[in-house]
Amino acid sequence: MKLIFYGGKGGVGKTTCASAFALATASPNKKPSDRMLIVSTDPAHSLGDAFGLRLSSAPRRIRRGLDAVELDARRAFARWLRENRRALGDILEHGTWLDATDVDTLLDLSFPGIDELVGLMEIERFARSGQYDVIVVDTAPTGHTLRLLAAPETVGVVAGVLDALQDEHRVIRDQLARVTRGPEAADRLIAALAAQATEIAERLRDRRRTSFRWVTLPEMMSVDESLDAFNALERAGLHVDEVVVNRLLPAARPCPLCDRRRAEEKKALGVIRRRLGGRRRLRLIPADVTEPRGVRRLAALGRVMTDGSRRLPHPPLTVARVPANSRQTKSVRPEALPAIRGASLIFFGGKGGVGKTTAAAATALRMARAAPERRILLLSTDPAHSLSDVLDAPASDEAAVIRRGPPNLRVREIDAPRALAAKRAGLEAALAEIASAIGQGAPGTGADRAAELMNLAPPGIDELFGIVSVIDARADYDAIVVDTAPTGHALRLLELPDAAREWVQALLRVLLKYRGLVRPGQLAQELVAVAKSIRELQALLRDGTQTRCITVTRAAETPRLETERLLKRLRQLRLTTPAVVVNALTVQPGTCVRCQTVAAAERRSLTALRRTLRRSGRRSGQCAIIQAPLVAPPPTGVVALERWGGRWQLELGS
Amino acid sequence: MFILDSLLIGSLRFVLDKVVQAAEAEMQDDSALREQLLEAQMRLELGEITDEEFAETERDILAAIREIKRPQQGAISMSPTDKIAGVDIDTFES
Repeated sequence: MKLIFYGGKGGVGKTTCASAFALATASPNKKPSDRMLIVSTDPAHSLGDAFGLRLSSAPRRIRRGLDAVELDARRAFARWLRENRRALGDILEHGTWLDATDVDTLLDLSFPGIDELVGLMEIERFARSGQYDVIVVDTAPTGHTLRLLAAPETVGVVAGVLDALQDEHRVIRDQLARVTRGPEAADRLIAALAAQATEIAERLRDRRRTSFRWVTLPEMMSVDESLDAFNALERAGLHVDEVVVNRLLPAARPCPLCDRRRAEEKKALGVIRRRLGGRRRLRLIPADVTEPRGVRRLAALGRVMTDGSRRLPHPPLTVARVPANSRQTKSVRPEALPAIRGASLIFFGGKGGVGKTTAAAATALRMARAAPERRILLLSTDPAHSLSDVLDAPASDEAAVIRRGPPNLRVREIDAPRALAAKRAGLEAALAEIASAIGQGAPGTGADRAAELMNLAPPGIDELFGIVSVIDARADYDAIVVDTAPTGHALRLLELPDAAREWVQALLRVLLKYRGLVRPGQLAQELVAVAKSIRELQALLRDGTQTRCITVTRAAETPRLETERLLKRLRQLRLTTPAVVVNALTVQPGTCVRCQTVAAAERRSLTALRRTLRRSGRRSGQCAIIQAPLVAPPPTGVVALERWGGRWQLELGS
Repeated sequence: MFILDSLLIGSLRFVLDKVVQAAEAEMQDDSALREQLLEAQMRLELGEITDEEFAETERDILAAIREIKRPQQGAISMSPTDKIAGVDIDTFES
């Protein structure tokens, strides 16, 4: 059994490369048990979009020898909980003062980071099923893949906490039981969890059983993020054995736009060879004119990937007439957009790689420049930060003015593990207080083991501290612009206040219930304060005059489909979605056939997007379309970003 | 007579001691009230009481806390060296 992970920054083509590789290497001629499975672990799945098929959490046959599945972490966790509820409930009842009702309430809460925690366990479940020889994993964008890979350690700590809780019960049982019986279900569960954590951690670090392939674009932003990720992976003892450079422009006749991009690619490719290459396999994938979607086209791309040829077998390009921009547009300054004006909390969200960071940075810069008296914070909550790369200036966990930036703009990239470490003392005290409120509080019980979590960066931590820092920053700034992680995790962030409030309430209930045993103290006071801030944040998020969600997308099919789902979910969360920024539009195509064809395809896609927005807008209000132009090289640095922001166009009547 | 006196003064001293203790406890330590307030806040966050009910409870508790904090006016404060009706409590022997 071999595991092959495809990782990379958002939008580099992880899903495309993973599915093309799977299609090209899954052999239909092998015996039925010799099969390949492709799994998507990104909570915002696009594997089904790539194949053009509807996928679910149950494997679906793509062709002989290849199945595909889109993990549903919540459902998988619910199933796991059903199977282990009894044992888990026993442990919590044995190790704490909680009764069955309390335990039930706690187990029904939703856990942040569940996608990552359950993701690997599910892959392991498929691996153990014996049904597959190879499992190809299409992962979430960089930051959360790093959290996914840290999941076994978290599971190990959880097993340790449960073990500590069960310990006392075990001692009593051993002393009192006259007849020694076998281990209880609770003991078996703890042992199984611990074993699973060890097994997965070992499998991931075993080069014979696991291969990591890193997909990057020949663009400096993508290369910078890859360098950071490589370091993080190596530190975790994981080894990348293949680098896939996706979407290289093929050689063609001179064209001003494409030539500039080719020059940029050449530079990036040099860095890739020097810094990422080494002894790793390097695969170069040529860019197709439109996204390779559907089984047939992906299989063709897969053959190119695997046989090493750099030519894509597509029909010769013919000069396509670029339809004129069917919509009238007018120049608009981002800071003056109705979608932005007057807001105090602005989230930029969207699929990976569409240009969220660039759009958020340009908007924040221009907002600050236009109103020097307002204090603006530009905050990144994506664990794979790219603000400093886009701004071409160092940014850190300390909110600070950036080089050449306006003095009233501060920039911060949240470092959740660091924030967790900083709060360590307070959290340990809180854990101890929880332990004394619900448990025997004897040394060696769960609290000590749970404190070990603070040495890790447990899944869900980025969303948690993302919300905490928005709450904390409210008092000091007039407006906060948030550059979020790609879709799936941006949604987790926005869903978190509801989940967190349920947690806080559950804890408050427990503290009240046992106040006869332990007087509510510091922890209760803090929980009351937290509950209050969450309540205020919930109200703020749902107040459309204050909070806006701007969705960034591109004029292509896959981002459009994801945008549609994202908007729907945002509206379900009762958030205001006043505008969509369509980024990197080939507004002024170069002179080559390729540019013209791409521009024509973008126009078609834009029309489809308009239709989608019109359809959904009927139910939930207007959503303006903003066109942001493609520039080569992409805007980097304060000056270029502000200039680029000045070139946005608002579609009239949108 | 002497016995009666001593009994009277002894029980008076006992009663006064108790009063002083309780008052001092309340005075130096408003923690019971603070706990009540915290509990009310917890119930408010859980939706077990309404904003109005909370406001009322809060008003009462804060008033009580203010009462405790107010500088005391002589009479109630008492230490073992204080004298009652000219009798030195500490040196009084039955």
